[in-house]
Amino acid sequence: MATSIQGTSAAVAAEDDIPIPYMQRTRDYYLALGYDNPYRWAHFVDVPFTPLGTPLERARVALITTAAPFQPDAGDQGPGAPYNARAKFYKVYSDSTESAPDLRISHVGYDRKHTTAKDINTFFPLVRLRDAVAAGRIGSLAPRFHGAPTNRSHRETGADLDELLRRCREDGADAAVLVPS
Amino acid sequence: MGLAARHLEAHGIPTVIMGCAKDIVEHCGVPRFLWSDFPLGNSAGRPFDPESQAQTLELALRVLETAPAARTTVQSGQRWSPDASWKRDYNDLTKLTPETIAQRRKEFDVVKTIAKAKREGS
Repeated sequence: MATSIQGTSAAVAAEDDIPIPYMQRTRDYYLALGYDNPYRWAHFVDVPFTPLGTPLERARVALITTAAPFQPDAGDQGPGAPYNARAKFYKVYSDSTESAPDLRISHVGYDRKHTTAKDINTFFPLVRLRDAVAAGRIGSLAPRFHGAPTNRSHRETGADLDELLRRCREDGADAAVLVPS
Repeated sequence: MGLAARHLEAHGIPTVIMGCAKDIVEHCGVPRFLWSDFPLGNSAGRPFDPESQAQTLELALRVLETAPAARTTVQSGQRWSPDASWKRDYNDLTKLTPETIAQRRKEFDVVKTIAKAKREGS
């Protein structure tokens, strides 16, 4: 629990109230599973940056997710399902932002103890983005949202990224909101 | 997802990532990142709480509009719970039984087999 320093109103956070070290835990996890080749994440010297060129109230915004479309023949996909490798997808997919897609996250390593995944809006903000359009906060949504595959080799990831870019351009997106689940 | 943000950004489309895994996203290096210190699976706000979700999205949009440079991270002020005990549970290896480890390994091998077949078929 938080405490406070005498003479101030500032609450001091608990010692273990820090960002979870996911990378370390994932490395340890794969070692515990018996894989001795430590998991590695790509990282880069430089980071690209493009200023927002169109004011948001006129911009067309794309939504990109790692959530997977429900596949009736791929076993338990939750909510609350155990990790389900069969529910993964391996190609970029797109669907209409006018639809109410049935997306699941049983194929990724989310926190199953503290997340039930019963509410799609907690990992896929399509409805909230529509609200933002209705409120005039953003101009419009791109006609499609896009699904980005996880668990890919470097070569395949490159092709997936080109495909995502191609679809965003085709949709005339001025900006993109990306939501990993 | 970090790679996707970087790729779009490098080709002229500004991006913002809404996420929970701070170290992984920042390690990659991304243009703009709204971090919620929530359990994985809640990048867009608290479940069944439209107000939390709307605030999370609004903050992400503000990061999209106002980030001065790449590698901008903003932390949402929302807290998952008054104490941080939930953070101890994720992938807690001391809680894995040999049976669980065997089951998880089996699942992981399924992924590798499928991914290999997809590669060879493409």
